[in-house]
Amino acid sequence: MSLHALIVEPFETLAFMRAALVACLALALMNGAVGTLLVLRRMSLDGEVLGHAVMPGAAVGFLYAGPSPLWLSLGGLASGLAVATLSGLITRAGARRDAGLVAFYLVALSLGVVLVAWRGSNVDVMRVLFGTVLAIDQRALLQIAALSSVIMIAIAALYRPLAVGAFDPAFLRAVGARAPYGAVFSALVVLALVASFQAFGTLLAVGPMLLPAAAARCWGLGAAVSMALAAGFGLAASIVGLLVSYHVDLPSGPVIVLTAGLLFGISLAAVNAVRRLAPTLARGA
Amino acid sequence: MVRLAGGTVECAARRRLAYLPQLSAIDRDYPLSVAELISLGGWREIGAFRAPRSALRQRIAAVAETVGLSGRIERSIGEISVGEFQRALFARLILQDATVILLDEPFAGIDPQTMSVLLDQVTRWHQEGRTVIAVVHDLDLVQARFPSTLVLARRCLAWGATEMALPVMAA
Repeated sequence: MSLHALIVEPFETLAFMRAALVACLALALMNGAVGTLLVLRRMSLDGEVLGHAVMPGAAVGFLYAGPSPLWLSLGGLASGLAVATLSGLITRAGARRDAGLVAFYLVALSLGVVLVAWRGSNVDVMRVLFGTVLAIDQRALLQIAALSSVIMIAIAALYRPLAVGAFDPAFLRAVGARAPYGAVFSALVVLALVASFQAFGTLLAVGPMLLPAAAARCWGLGAAVSMALAAGFGLAASIVGLLVSYHVDLPSGPVIVLTAGLLFGISLAAVNAVRRLAPTLARGA
Repeated sequence: MVRLAGGTVECAARRRLAYLPQLSAIDRDYPLSVAELISLGGWREIGAFRAPRSALRQRIAAVAETVGLSGRIERSIGEISVGEFQRALFARLILQDATVILLDEPFAGIDPQTMSVLLDQVTRWHQEGRTVIAVVHDLDLVQARFPSTLVLARRCLAWGATEMALPVMAA
């Protein structure tokens, strides 16, 4: 098989592969920025929980209007924001944070599955859980691109307070920054998950967000460079994942997430090897 | 930062308050250079959106010099020693130009040289007429450098001039 047939032809001949590629590109750019901030804030678990928090709302949207991207997203957005607010309140009330988050995660996931299975089929359940990156139509694509653009612009505009809030939130409060940047960031994460879950489902949406960012973070670069590298990793994982899933006939979403996980493993191993071989070179890593 | 048990606190200088957290409260893996960390002290000037002017950049270099970090300013905060990191946080405090400065265990686990640099700065703040409130466990240090002491052991045991308050601890 020629290289052309291996790499270019699937995208050249099949419209759904092209749509998937464009959607993954938009999501990778946005996920690079959101995921890096999430990793820097040490909020990976929160991301995971919010990912499942999108589920019950999306399920209600599904019950109301069937598999329409708009209603799935609106429902997911509403329940995601509700859980983000609730988990903020729980933390403030002094409950054990990790236990509270995991409780939300399990309840949201089960509730979502029950709701979808109540009126839909097993196929519908699978679709909401794992996404349909190969069935992205024009409207879904526009929605993904629009949401990703809004998130990128918001992060670019609020970059300094978001980055400082990740580093030293007490300082931000002490100098009198009044806007609730923590809550703004949580809302951006929910938006990002809503943008992703069409393609990757509520179970996997956190994968393309966290794994490339975690892989990029291994290399010990500055926050902005790390975001760019994470976007690059995300895109690479998407292209490789789409091609592998096409040629070997495997489900695309999970293969993309697996590829991103592989990049994380390689980054971790490479940085550790460099550190062992040349300790002085890898000081920053 | 702290929740009140009751009552209210009136403070005209609300916006002129600076706070040094405990070292352990800060994530030193965060990708930030020493210069970037210090420049946060200029937040009241640059806020969330403005770019630092050259005057601010000169002041950053000057405060880095004051705490003895001139040669380290481009390093990332993960590369420098604990003492140097504490110096950088002090440089940020100096830049904040606050009238009330809160220091939470500023000398815990700090090397002697850094300690003398930081203590000199505390003395300078005191001479400039600023209020410095520090949490300190080293009683000899309190005796030597701090004029007033509040002795706390779950509740307030004594408050006043250090030579009057400290003996309460021994009793």
